[in-house]
Amino acid sequence: MSSVQEQPVPVVFTGTRSELAGMLLRGYGLLIPTIGLYRFWLTTWKRRFYWANTEIDGDPLEYTGNAIQLLLGFLMALAVFVPLYGLFFFLSTQSSEAAIAGYSGVAVLLWFLMGYAIYRARDFRLSRTLWRGIRCDQGGSAWGYAWRRFFWSLLVLVTAGLAYPFMAASLWAYRYRHSWYGDRQFGFVGSWKQLARPFYLTYLVVVVIGAVGLGMGSAMGGLPVSGATPTVGGVVVLLIAAGLIGLMLLYYRSREISRMFSSVRLGEAALRVTVRARSLLGQYLLFGLALAGSYIVLAIGGLIVLGVVASGAFAGGAFDPQVFMQALQSSITVLLAIIFGYLLLLGAFSLMVELFLGLGFWRLVARGATITGLDSLRTVKARGEDTALAGEGLADALNVGAY
Amino acid sequence: MGIAGRFHDGQVAQVHVVGLEYEHAGATGTLVIRDEDGVELGRWPATDLYALHGRKDELRLGANGQPTGARVVVRGRVDVARVLATLPVLHAKRRQQAGREIRLAVTATVALAAVIGAYLYGVPLLASRIVGLVPPAWEQSLGETVARQMEASLGDSGGLEACDPDPDSLANRAIARFGAAVLEGSGSPFDLDIKVVKSEIPNAFALPGGQVFFFSALLDQAETQDEFAGVLAHEVGHVAHRHGMEQLISTAGTGALIGFILGDMTGISVAAGLGATIIDARFSRDAERQADAFAARAAERMDFNPAGLADLINRVGADDEFARALALLSTHPLTDDRKAALEILSQQRPTGLEPPFTATEWAAIRSMCGEPVAGTTPKTKSK
Repeated sequence: MSSVQEQPVPVVFTGTRSELAGMLLRGYGLLIPTIGLYRFWLTTWKRRFYWANTEIDGDPLEYTGNAIQLLLGFLMALAVFVPLYGLFFFLSTQSSEAAIAGYSGVAVLLWFLMGYAIYRARDFRLSRTLWRGIRCDQGGSAWGYAWRRFFWSLLVLVTAGLAYPFMAASLWAYRYRHSWYGDRQFGFVGSWKQLARPFYLTYLVVVVIGAVGLGMGSAMGGLPVSGATPTVGGVVVLLIAAGLIGLMLLYYRSREISRMFSSVRLGEAALRVTVRARSLLGQYLLFGLALAGSYIVLAIGGLIVLGVVASGAFAGGAFDPQVFMQALQSSITVLLAIIFGYLLLLGAFSLMVELFLGLGFWRLVARGATITGLDSLRTVKARGEDTALAGEGLADALNVGAY
Repeated sequence: MGIAGRFHDGQVAQVHVVGLEYEHAGATGTLVIRDEDGVELGRWPATDLYALHGRKDELRLGANGQPTGARVVVRGRVDVARVLATLPVLHAKRRQQAGREIRLAVTATVALAAVIGAYLYGVPLLASRIVGLVPPAWEQSLGETVARQMEASLGDSGGLEACDPDPDSLANRAIARFGAAVLEGSGSPFDLDIKVVKSEIPNAFALPGGQVFFFSALLDQAETQDEFAGVLAHEVGHVAHRHGMEQLISTAGTGALIGFILGDMTGISVAAGLGATIIDARFSRDAERQADAFAARAAERMDFNPAGLADLINRVGADDEFARALALLSTHPLTDDRKAALEILSQQRPTGLEPPFTATEWAAIRSMCGEPVAGTTPKTKSK
């Protein structure tokens, strides 16, 4: 076996932001005439883009799912949600104590179901991922995963977060140990020990900064307590503390991603991923700038439209609010303008999220990844067909599906 | 040597660097896949070929009758164009597939539009049917819960203190008698409980289960019996039609529908809120018209002019330009429209009826909350 001496092969990502932007804009446009149903097609196109542009050793991934499967899955998820809706409605008519108890019960149930949905959605995506003509797959039990996630999260809650590294490692291991590429099973060599140091360091720093920042900030009057206006100094201290906490969380996230992905094995092949905290920070800064920029453009566009609609209000270079309000109150076009403007704002936001956070994150992980021992995969054989017909179901309804 | 490509056989995770050749046979032909040494790896008839979605300048081919993962991949703009030119069948199949998906998307959209249409026109009917299935006792306890919550939320301003706590006073007896007379013959399972309570907000409303609240500020503004009786009869109409319950049911249904459209079953987004508001407001306006019609029918048995209720509402808060612009979002029809409709309904009122209250009773009702509260009147619309 020569795989030990083999050079690590970098993962390549070939997609561009403008290509994705064009696809998304077209998709948003089609969402309106289809009353939102086009979202299943949009998701499919998006995945095709991400998969097809992620190239491992010369061969890109292929996403073989289609929109109709997603649509069917969503319809099936409705079967779960309609009774839940009925339950919600019944609870809302009960006495307030019973309603609160009932709502909490439903919230806990939803939290549990989310685990099931996440696992099923991953199954759907993996089983529709093809590389070198061989399909991936996921075994295991979605209910088993849901229970694990549920009880771990209870434990994390009880221990004020201290149990989190154990939960993360356990769930990562469950996911990967039940994943397959053809007839070869993935492995996972990570453990909580790899997460412990960055996690408890972050935990400690966040607690200290939080306590100090809150103490100083409120001492300087940065909190709007009992109607007093917050002082500038206090607010600045609070903002600095919040910013530092954000940085620590990014640091931890980069460590968890790098170390957990680097623990993924496939036979003799090993994945190695390096994602730096500063790259993550860069994504968020870029996203903030892009969002601000797009909103400024929209605001200018909105003002121009208003100027045309209510030109009388701007007559003579001065702004007359009364004329302006009269022009606005004239008709139903105002309402349409409000709805259209709202849709534009919403569209700009989700476009920026996808372009800078979604694509940014995928690209960071892909470009930070190398694989050793790829040659050992040349003997992997295809397994039989068992792609379930249904889509991601609950995941669509619960909005947990990333990518 | 043909066009260069990559070949996966769909059985083993191998890459074969191959040359592709096309053998014409009449109108159709066969794609021949050979490795670098000229060994034939596969022959795919052109009619079995289909193209898959790949990235830009990359053509991925699969074929019926081959393992599902088997692929021939051609890269580069020039080579892709050459293959496509040789195999027009790929275009045809892709068009077919696209056509299928478009037809499906259109069908689904039309179906969804039909569901929304059916919902908008069907739910008022359906909700009134469903309401008939709700046990009156349940609705009553629900109304009591709502009343308790309301009193708790108004706790700072003294709760909902009755103007005249004695149920046997002249005013309360007259109001109860009027309410019972209005409700008579509607087959309602509820006993009315009409309370005139102290509040600076000019409003009146009916809760599920037969409770009706009339705020003192509205009573203060009533100039004639007609106005007071009209609003009260309108609220009794809400009780008789069980509108409170109906509204609860339709609101829940609207939430589910909007969630379906937006793919956000939690329904917490602003879009969901706005959509639900527009739809629910429509149902609410229908309910107001029904209650107005109910009041007009009651006025055929007693001598009061139901159009008075529109006068009172108009005095409390006339429709301004803004209300007209946002009429689509409003839970109430425009007052002018209501008055016009009520006047048409009250044209055929018989003559020679008894007025709802005697002069002494009306005087007692007018003074039951003491002197009108001085000061400005809040501009809140009444129900």
